[in-house]
Amino acid sequence: MFPILKKSLKTGVVTGQHPKAETSQGPINPEAVGKTKPFRRSLAIREVDTGSCNACEMEMNALANPVYDVERFGVHIVASPRHADALVVTGPVTVNMEHALKDVYEQTPDPKIVIALGDCAINCGAFKGSYAVTGPVERHIPVDVRIPGCPPRPAEILNALQELRAHRDLDGD
Amino acid sequence: MADAQTAISLLKEAYAASIVEMTPINGTPRLQVKKDTVPQVAHFLHSHPNLRGALSLLWAVDHRPRETRFELCYLFTLSEGQEWLLLCTDLQGEDRLFPSITPHIHAAKWYEREIRDMFGLIPVGHPDMRRLVRHEHWPKGSHPLKKDFRWDSVLGRVQGEKVFRHIEGEGVFEVAVGPIHAGIIEVGHFRFSVAGEPIMQLELHHFWKHRGVEKLFEQQQLTEAVPLAERVSGDTTVGHSLAYCQAVETLMQMEVPRRARYLRSFFLELERLYNHLGDVGAICTDVAYSLPHAHCGRMKEQIMQLNDRLTGSRFLRGVNCVGGVGIDVTNEQLTKTIAELDGLELDFTELEKIAFANSTLKDRVETTGVLSNSIAWDHGVMGVVGRASGIDRDIRRDHPFAAYDELPPNVVLYRYGDVRARMRVRIDEIHESLRLIREIRQHIPQGPIVAQPTGKPASGTWALSAVEGWRGEILYMVMAAENGGIHRCKIRDPSFVNWPAIQYAVLGNIIPDFPVINKSFNMSYAGNDL
Repeated sequence: MFPILKKSLKTGVVTGQHPKAETSQGPINPEAVGKTKPFRRSLAIREVDTGSCNACEMEMNALANPVYDVERFGVHIVASPRHADALVVTGPVTVNMEHALKDVYEQTPDPKIVIALGDCAINCGAFKGSYAVTGPVERHIPVDVRIPGCPPRPAEILNALQELRAHRDLDGD
Repeated sequence: MADAQTAISLLKEAYAASIVEMTPINGTPRLQVKKDTVPQVAHFLHSHPNLRGALSLLWAVDHRPRETRFELCYLFTLSEGQEWLLLCTDLQGEDRLFPSITPHIHAAKWYEREIRDMFGLIPVGHPDMRRLVRHEHWPKGSHPLKKDFRWDSVLGRVQGEKVFRHIEGEGVFEVAVGPIHAGIIEVGHFRFSVAGEPIMQLELHHFWKHRGVEKLFEQQQLTEAVPLAERVSGDTTVGHSLAYCQAVETLMQMEVPRRARYLRSFFLELERLYNHLGDVGAICTDVAYSLPHAHCGRMKEQIMQLNDRLTGSRFLRGVNCVGGVGIDVTNEQLTKTIAELDGLELDFTELEKIAFANSTLKDRVETTGVLSNSIAWDHGVMGVVGRASGIDRDIRRDHPFAAYDELPPNVVLYRYGDVRARMRVRIDEIHESLRLIREIRQHIPQGPIVAQPTGKPASGTWALSAVEGWRGEILYMVMAAENGGIHRCKIRDPSFVNWPAIQYAVLGNIIPDFPVINKSFNMSYAGNDL
């Protein structure tokens, strides 16, 4: 017990101790912001990998560590698409994952948003043109938000999520 | 213990009529074997008590359009990793059949199915002729690595369903998991058969993420494919790009400067550090002990931020280039890094004590998911998983690359093969990596960091390269095409070999223990599926 307490006290608070995101994602399209309105206070994310190199997964995982601690912004990673408000899709859509992606999209209750995370999900990146890749995510399901990078840093993902849910157009609610 | 020459003389004695000795490939002795006798020769190598040859790699090459033949090469590691021996055989003309060695050597089972899928060559006598890489909806006759298959073809879709092995009987249930999992992990399907709690059978259904990486390499120039190698498996960026660069450097006969070799070791150990830290935490969280997970996540993040400061990439991308490294590190940066890592080692040692004082953790990880030494050896298991089951292999010691000829690592070895052993291997390797980084700081020479290419390799020449990544042995075989292109690039991530072994490690365990067993193996899906 005491070593644990001592360790926690010695470590202190590490949340937020990361370099600021360098690149600005630019203005997120207003349509996506509108669609995200119901999820401003709480956003449940299901991550779907459709053929990434696993770097994007690692950065998504990093969001949950004590340094980024995405839960403090009301963002949760959930275990099933049926619990999700948003799908975060990584990787180019491979021939083998095409149907699984469409299934997941259908299983996610409306209203929902789709976030394409990383260059591969946006434009197939290094795997563009391959016989085993069917195209970017938007070829199969409608994409609302794009977060570029190979992979995007956790701070950049956090920024994009914040921007998406910012109370910019306060219209009384 | 036996060296390759003893093996060759023993083989010549036994199979004189069907073996021809060829010129070695970068120091690896090579034997040309008649196709029909390959199984006997391989079995002899594998089962001879003095040779104990383990199959390390099996690959095929389509030599068209230069020659109308397919070549199969079997790379054996003799006496636990000290020496390599290569067996090669040809399929001339329209011949599409080759004898399977799987009935004698378990480790070949996925390789041969992969060759069948990718080249359309049939392993005659293979006990499991189902598809592996190509899922059932792929049309008949689509074999992507054949030279007459266009890299950018659009595949049609046909009806077809994967047939699993079933266990039948009263009270036997099947539990299907995946391809999309509950956590933030990659995609793969697991099919459990259970009676009550214990797992009776696990069958893997992978290759959902097959992106055609090997074919994509064939569209690139030798000197320009490093970014693709970095993206074979994102968490092993340095391991894969280093293995690729080494193969190309051997082909181009480039001498990598000493300083670059030291920096390569430095970055490889950083990669090992952050991944092992993450894994130790993840194993704890899978037994519902989240305190070490939080601390390990913080330490892993610390190293990834350090990577970012040193190289501009959290995954150390752009570090390796053909001929050396693309990023130099100043002495001041190195000193600062050592200071930071010293702090981290203290931090981690404290955490280690706290974690192992917890009886819940010990209770869950001890005797869970045991992979016995004999099963590990039969399946050619390697890397962290192998060393936890007493397989004493480490490329850094057995075939030194980068700076490991001057800085030999102490190989961590455990025998019991349970989750705890795999966790202990990682923990001990964290300390060993930290020691190596300090050694690198002390001995790193000054000088250039990149060598200039000396010329284009002749078409058809090839080179092998091996790197001990944080998961285990990464092997690359790169064959040059005309004008500096790539004719064939065979990639072997350790995951490809270790995945089948998990099917044995889970037997008799309960399904709730599967996540922690899987995490203790922690294999790459991307590196496996390619």
